[in-house]
Amino acid sequence: MERILIALSDAFAQAPNRVLRYKQFVLTGLIVISAMMVWGIYTRTELDMTTDSFLDQEDPSMMALNEYRRQFGSDDSVFLVYRAKDGDVFSRESLLAIQQLTDDLRYWQQLDPADYPESINGIALDFDELNHVRRVQSITNIRYQENEGDTLLSNRLVPQQIPQSAEELAAIKARAMEQEDYLLAFYSADARYAAVMIQTDFGAQPIANYEPAVNAADIVLDDSFVDFDAFSDADSFDLEFDESAEIQEVSFESVDMLGYTNFHIITKALYEKYSDQFEFFPVGNPPMMEFMMDTLNQMMTLGIVMVLIFTLLLYILFRSFSAVLWPMVTIAASMAWTWGITVWLGVTISQMISLTVLLVFAVGIADCVHVMSAYFSYRRQGEDHYDALSHSYGKTGLAIMVTTVTTMAGVLALTTSDLLPIQVFGLMSAFGVVMAFFFTIVLLPILLDVWHPGAPEAQDASLADRIGKRWNELYIGKKAGLAVVYFIAVYALLGLWVGTYITVISLMTYVVVNWQLQILSYVPYIVARRPWVVLGLFGTLFVVCAYGMSLIRIDSNMTELTKEGSSIRVAYETVDENMAGAMSMVIMVDTHTTDGLYNPRLMQAIDELQSRIESRYADQVTRTNSLANIVKDTYQIMSDDDPAYYRVPEDEQMISQLLYLFNSANPEDRRALVSDDYSRSHISLNIYNAGSYQYQLFFDEISVEIDEVFAGLEQEFPELEVYLTGSMALLMRMADEVANSQYSSFIFAIGVISVIMIVTLGSLQGGLMAMIPNVIPALLGFGLMGLLGIALDTDTLLIAPLIIGIAVDDTIHFMTHYRVELIRTGSISESLITTIRDVGQAVMFTTMVLGLGFALLSFSDYLGMAKMGFFGSAAIFVALLCDLFLIPAMIMVFKPTFGVKGADTRITFMEKLA
Amino acid sequence: MNLRSLFIVTAVFISLLGNLASAQEMTGLEIMELVEENQRATSDSAFNRMQLSTCRFGIKESRITCAERPRIKSLESVGKNFGDDGKDTKSVTIVLEPAAERGVGMLSYAYDDTQRDNETWLYLSALGRVKRIASGNSDDDSEPASVFGSEFTTEDTDTGKLEEYEIRVLEETTEGGREVWKIELIPNAERARKSRYSKTINYVDKERFIVLRVEMFDQYDNEIKRLLASRVELVNGTWMARSLTMMNLVSNRLSNMAFLEIHTDIAVEDEFLTTRTLTDVAFRETELEKLRQQVD
Repeated sequence: MERILIALSDAFAQAPNRVLRYKQFVLTGLIVISAMMVWGIYTRTELDMTTDSFLDQEDPSMMALNEYRRQFGSDDSVFLVYRAKDGDVFSRESLLAIQQLTDDLRYWQQLDPADYPESINGIALDFDELNHVRRVQSITNIRYQENEGDTLLSNRLVPQQIPQSAEELAAIKARAMEQEDYLLAFYSADARYAAVMIQTDFGAQPIANYEPAVNAADIVLDDSFVDFDAFSDADSFDLEFDESAEIQEVSFESVDMLGYTNFHIITKALYEKYSDQFEFFPVGNPPMMEFMMDTLNQMMTLGIVMVLIFTLLLYILFRSFSAVLWPMVTIAASMAWTWGITVWLGVTISQMISLTVLLVFAVGIADCVHVMSAYFSYRRQGEDHYDALSHSYGKTGLAIMVTTVTTMAGVLALTTSDLLPIQVFGLMSAFGVVMAFFFTIVLLPILLDVWHPGAPEAQDASLADRIGKRWNELYIGKKAGLAVVYFIAVYALLGLWVGTYITVISLMTYVVVNWQLQILSYVPYIVARRPWVVLGLFGTLFVVCAYGMSLIRIDSNMTELTKEGSSIRVAYETVDENMAGAMSMVIMVDTHTTDGLYNPRLMQAIDELQSRIESRYADQVTRTNSLANIVKDTYQIMSDDDPAYYRVPEDEQMISQLLYLFNSANPEDRRALVSDDYSRSHISLNIYNAGSYQYQLFFDEISVEIDEVFAGLEQEFPELEVYLTGSMALLMRMADEVANSQYSSFIFAIGVISVIMIVTLGSLQGGLMAMIPNVIPALLGFGLMGLLGIALDTDTLLIAPLIIGIAVDDTIHFMTHYRVELIRTGSISESLITTIRDVGQAVMFTTMVLGLGFALLSFSDYLGMAKMGFFGSAAIFVALLCDLFLIPAMIMVFKPTFGVKGADTRITFMEKLA
Repeated sequence: MNLRSLFIVTAVFISLLGNLASAQEMTGLEIMELVEENQRATSDSAFNRMQLSTCRFGIKESRITCAERPRIKSLESVGKNFGDDGKDTKSVTIVLEPAAERGVGMLSYAYDDTQRDNETWLYLSALGRVKRIASGNSDDDSEPASVFGSEFTTEDTDTGKLEEYEIRVLEETTEGGREVWKIELIPNAERARKSRYSKTINYVDKERFIVLRVEMFDQYDNEIKRLLASRVELVNGTWMARSLTMMNLVSNRLSNMAFLEIHTDIAVEDEFLTTRTLTDVAFRETELEKLRQQVD
């Protein structure tokens, strides 16, 4: 093993010179292939950002949702809640305005685009998006049923001509409050809030190239359609039917974030016209996705700033512009190949590509910084360009390979997920990590050969060097004065949080730039003086974090992913407080029997389930609605409004005719509730916003209730199916899925990394020992979240292994290098000192660049990203502390020899210090 | 010769002329008016027995066929035309089958005048109550109601109000071996509020002035429904399709309306075409018996 490691190190040492020998050839080849990749990216990229794409179309929850959509259309709608600024949604002014808005939304073709802004948030308004509006319901067009003599009338709650007199308006309000089915759905009990329900066709619109099968050539009606005898005495004729006939299944256009956003933007333009009268709180998928889109745009800005910070730090730390340019080129090439090959293979990518970019960026930077840090330090020691190049690759190559393999193992574990985009993400990321390794070995030496900083004593010192020199010549007082001015300016310009962030970056950079060598050479002595104290401190940290981790809850709450006070969060809170809950869910009832829903026992079971849910889960469910409500309502009204008849009749014929009436009066309402053959229907539930964990519990309980309530009906309906579905259930299933796949991925990654460490370090003892500093950063991130009571949402969970992978890379560099040194020198003390000196700088630099870069993400408005930025950055810095303090302490205390025979285990720092 | 017969003769005459010379001079509106005239003739002073069959459909050996046992409704209807040009129609339809809906009735008035909205009343036998479905206010945005729970809506079956459409002859072609005009009907802003279709394309038989096929389009200009007319026969001097099949191309369900019996030139009391027929069972049965006797 030792020989293999040495041989590998030697091979890496020779790699740069071999590559340089065929420089022209290699470079030309890389440029040609890269150009092909870029061309592929531009021409072949298929980006699918829909939530549907996350689940296999064959997945049971997806099939259930598609089944629902085929039957009942889209369940995506905008619930536009508004607060009347005059305090009464039934005032004449409010009614007039909302009537106008309802008309605007329904008959938008008649609007003049000149009355509206051309764009909102940089997105041009497209009125054609309003084609997605399927139905608009508001106070001003909903109807209530009323008996008048022998005639049942379905009248408007608010007449078309809105009355002037206070008495008439009061009468409308009083009548509205009596309509239990509308209360909370369309207006709050105190009449301060009301809602416009905008139903869309998102997810239920047949795909663009949908071609009805009957359009095929030579398709004719079966003879039985005409084959009846005109004047026969037979009472009827039967159309023939053939159950083997092929029924075309319609596929639906999937919706992406942009589609929702464009729709919401134009809707917003329409309703904002009434903002003098109302304050609006839109909830539902379109506004939520618009918010997400905003967040994505903000992420782009943050990404650019992040690259700037990377650039600046690299420049200051290495004091050479080549140290900035070449890593960027290397990373860009890695990214182009990864993305390019993926699209050339015809794979559809999702928005998760941004995470792949992030990972490749981080890994690429770490790889390059390690090589360059070594190269620069050899140059400073006076070696010439070629020797320095060879030595630096010999020193870091092996470790880069090991980190590549471990990171790859971590992300490959994601491919066990059931969610296709996560599988693609896992494979692509694994490939990207390999690409970063490949380009660091093959491209970086050529680039450094093309342009590299001269010898340190040369006159062409970089700008950073010159500025640094002049700064150092200043008096201490002047320095302090300038520093104070600088920090005041930073805080004044950027505010408290960003100001603090910049201050921390500045101070850390200053300390590292000026005293890195002193710090690195002093570290072993600090540890050597009190290794047990160091171990004790880290042990305490470990225990506290492990405890914290036991407290962590995995939970995704849509609105809690946004900052307190953000518009979307306020909207959801308002809707939950004043109206029926902002979320909805459906329970599909499929009897698989024509006219099955006329059955009184089935209808009673539906009614029973609703009242059970409403009474037992009042803290989660606000209201339920189903065919049973319609039957009961109509029954009462048709029975002279006698409340005794507010029930499901015992008689099948009665139910049939009540529903017949309903169908004739409100065919759209009927179609939205029950299938044409009355075999399937659904119960809709309005629920409060909550986290996925609570929902999952709730879903399980509901399933039990369903089983209990429908238990007696198996005889009559052997094929009866009753199940939960809706976009909501789908999202929660996704959250569940991601949580599971992440958990297993995490365990798998730790296992693989342990095995690799054991193999590389040549001993079980060493490998397991190396795992401790590897696990601590991860524990710290999760542990802190647990202790602070912050839920681990699916997004954070998804990125956590990446961050941990990046955090442990430095540890691997440290341990690998130490082991190689131990083999070379045979002395623990000597190996430790050289390791800290040689690797320490690179570890410090990567930590600063990545740690501070990721910390920037904490400023994201999207808490899923912010949490990961903050805790990820914390993990990266803790990993540095582990490398510099914990590992040396463990080595001093436990004296592992990593299988090196006859190693000198004496600790000689104190003597040296003395 | 009553007004209706005059129209039919005129129609046949014009159509013959059209075949001899050129019917190009007829505008889309004129053609559609003749078509509706024809349609109204089949319901004027008529006593018909119809069967509505609804099923999910599929394709088997290039034939459109039900893929499940169809739900069947058997209906009796009585109709009569009113108004200056006989362009307003009143009709009563009563369910015979299935048993659960036996006695359920529908009374509808269709007016040609764009200022008057069509009216529909429903009678539920299990409750003994009448309900007016479409409200009388013409400002109202009443949705087209489903005809007896089938794929047909009142919008598909009602006649009149052609002024509310922009009508255009697209081309002359053939459909099912017959020479046809392809005529596009686009509702105006007023009509669009009440319609589920952004446009319809009608294939009108040049000789017989009946619609052989109608394609209905949604707001994205996708065809969502298609009507196929078959078994065209001359009944009491009027061409009519005795089998109408409405296919919903998105849900893949169809409804077939088959006219099993057609009796025209029947004496129908005006009183019969009122809500009294729906609620007064004795009255209804007496009147129906009278009608049945005329037929036999």
